[in-house]
Amino acid sequence: MSASPLIAQLIESLRCLPGVGPKSAQRMAYHLLERDRDGARRLAEALVTAAEQVGHCARCRTFTESEVCDICSDERRDHSLLCVVESPADVQALEGSIDYRGLYFVLMGHLSPLDGIGPEDIGLDKLIERFDGADIREIILATNPTVEGEATAHYIGELSRERGIRATRLAHGIPLGGELEFVDGTTLSHAFLGRQAIE
Amino acid sequence: MNTERRISLEPGFVLHRTPYRDTSLLLEAFTAEHGRVGLVAKGARRPRSALKGLLQPFQPLLLSWAGRGELRTLTGAEPAERPAFLAGPALASGFYLNEMLLRLVARHDPQPDLYPVYARTLSTLTKSSDMEWALRLFERDLLLCLGYGLLLGDEADGGGAVQSEGHYWYHLERGPVPEQGGGGIPVRGETLLALAKGQPPNQQGRAEAKQLMRAALRLYLGDKPLASRALFRQFAGSKRPQPSGE
Repeated sequence: MSASPLIAQLIESLRCLPGVGPKSAQRMAYHLLERDRDGARRLAEALVTAAEQVGHCARCRTFTESEVCDICSDERRDHSLLCVVESPADVQALEGSIDYRGLYFVLMGHLSPLDGIGPEDIGLDKLIERFDGADIREIILATNPTVEGEATAHYIGELSRERGIRATRLAHGIPLGGELEFVDGTTLSHAFLGRQAIE
Repeated sequence: MNTERRISLEPGFVLHRTPYRDTSLLLEAFTAEHGRVGLVAKGARRPRSALKGLLQPFQPLLLSWAGRGELRTLTGAEPAERPAFLAGPALASGFYLNEMLLRLVARHDPQPDLYPVYARTLSTLTKSSDMEWALRLFERDLLLCLGYGLLLGDEADGGGAVQSEGHYWYHLERGPVPEQGGGGIPVRGETLLALAKGQPPNQQGRAEAKQLMRAALRLYLGDKPLASRALFRQFAGSKRPQPSGE
């Protein structure tokens, strides 16, 4: 039996989610229709409002429905520290696990010349305005440890050096609880080069 | 070449990677025996994938794959030797090499002579010695391997050896011509011989070599600008990023 047009449309729409193939989309659709109509209505409403109202923070470019996001408008945070990350999910990861009280800047990507993604595509013109406009003491470069992330960090590092702002880069190292034997060679050599004195 | 084949532990480099489906990566690899190949690395974007860190550009790898058709399936990857680090301006040069290969080398076209040139250039870049000259020699050898090699040691149309103190006008389709007439790129004999022998010339010679190579490559690259060259300029000058459309 093939699904009716509305159900087929629902199944097809659910497939835009990551990791959802035709089979799981069908399971989700029937679950919502059979057991959870209220949940389905809430989901639909939340999707519509979020898709229409969530934009980018005017200061750090992360997702928010306000003009300026909560972190940027928090007066108790240290406005002289700026942590540069690739995505809003990275902000959540850092907020959830470390005691960082500075601000963020979200690039929404990284420099990737071969994909045609240049400095203006990741909002570096805006970042430069931040550099020039406010009193920033340190830039913490928390882009991903990939070739593109490294290139992005270097590029931003150059921009801040020209302006006499200290730039730091997150350390690359061995995961906690890991075993040296199984750590890949690149990580191991980064960890070795970045070793620290025992205080 | 459309028969099912298994290739095992072939030396190669990743030139470029793009996300593919939900958890996979699509790799453009440059390999010693098989030239450029398109490979699907299944599951390489899963959070705990061991391949994710390994399948990075500029790392010497041993790649295994199977399959037929345009895209093959990666079945294994190992580091070939100590990992190489490119940092800062060297990264921009690395992107430039990769973009050139992606633009000028077709898939499944074996390039046994070009592969060692690429590997050697990358290793020169990691030592961050004379980066600019390393790129010139790469361009020279790239053109040669693709069958568009420049005539450097001799004058055009069998006119004898290039003289170090001579002045020439380089016609891309012919070679260096000693007398002016009908355009060409002005270049001194000294520079041509430096390129032929691979010995770095002085500042003026470098500028001439760059002009010559850029003009020669433009013939084959077409008018579409190289994205990495723009990044390179910005790295070198670190100016404000130019807004697009200017």
